[in-house]
Amino acid sequence: MDTLQTNVAGLATYRGREGQISFILHRLTGLGTLLFLSLHILDTATVYFIPSLYEHAIDLYRSTPFMLGEIILVFSVIYHGANGLRIAYFDLYRPDLWNIETNRKSAIWTLGISIVLWIPAAFLMMRALLIHNFGL
Amino acid sequence: MTAQTERVSVPPRLDITAWKWMRYSGILLIPLAWIHVAINDVIVGVHAIDLNYVQMRWAFIGWRIYDFALLAFAFAHGVNGLRQVLNDYVRGESNRRRLAWLLFVFWLVLSIIGAAAIVGGVRMPE
Repeated sequence: MDTLQTNVAGLATYRGREGQISFILHRLTGLGTLLFLSLHILDTATVYFIPSLYEHAIDLYRSTPFMLGEIILVFSVIYHGANGLRIAYFDLYRPDLWNIETNRKSAIWTLGISIVLWIPAAFLMMRALLIHNFGL
Repeated sequence: MTAQTERVSVPPRLDITAWKWMRYSGILLIPLAWIHVAINDVIVGVHAIDLNYVQMRWAFIGWRIYDFALLAFAFAHGVNGLRQVLNDYVRGESNRRRLAWLLFVFWLVLSIIGAAAIVGGVRMPE
């Protein structure tokens, strides 16, 4: 519990700027995606183990809170992938790019590119949500 | 000024292998996961997904292999990532080893359940 408290306090007060923000976002988007993936393995497995349950699981995913969550999930998958590619490229091929200046710039570019990729997807998903759940 | 570099050989240890593996699997997961999400979440949408859709998709063996690869790489990548995050909060070698075993069992059980469904396919209710 102590380490958790220290960590949360540390995240709020440590001024790591862009690098720290991308570290936090990478962890949150990764953990969020894993949480959904664990559920998703189980719901998909019902098609073989308990097929009558599958429609109920999908009904849940069709509800407004889950569809909003799905839009966040898509951002998470895009950002985690883009930022992960940045990390992998720096670590494996260009460790010299791990300097404060390049890290700050590339972190901002990664977030920007992720948002640009996410907007059309979010638009289509939001449209589907309004059409199906609000009779638009 | 020339940078001095020295090659050191590091004996393969679990965490070094895991570190490399997270990067290689991560690169592979970008096309795998992005295409999966683009098709099923964005283009098809959850309102068009039902047992018939899954059956139609899995009628093509290529999609089963695709989903199997996604299950294998994404879930192992995710659970190892969770282990890395939790290692920041768990103190002591023995606690970390217990955590690793716990997560390994979690990964194995869900992977077997998921793989069985992909191999078994959709069983349409009467």
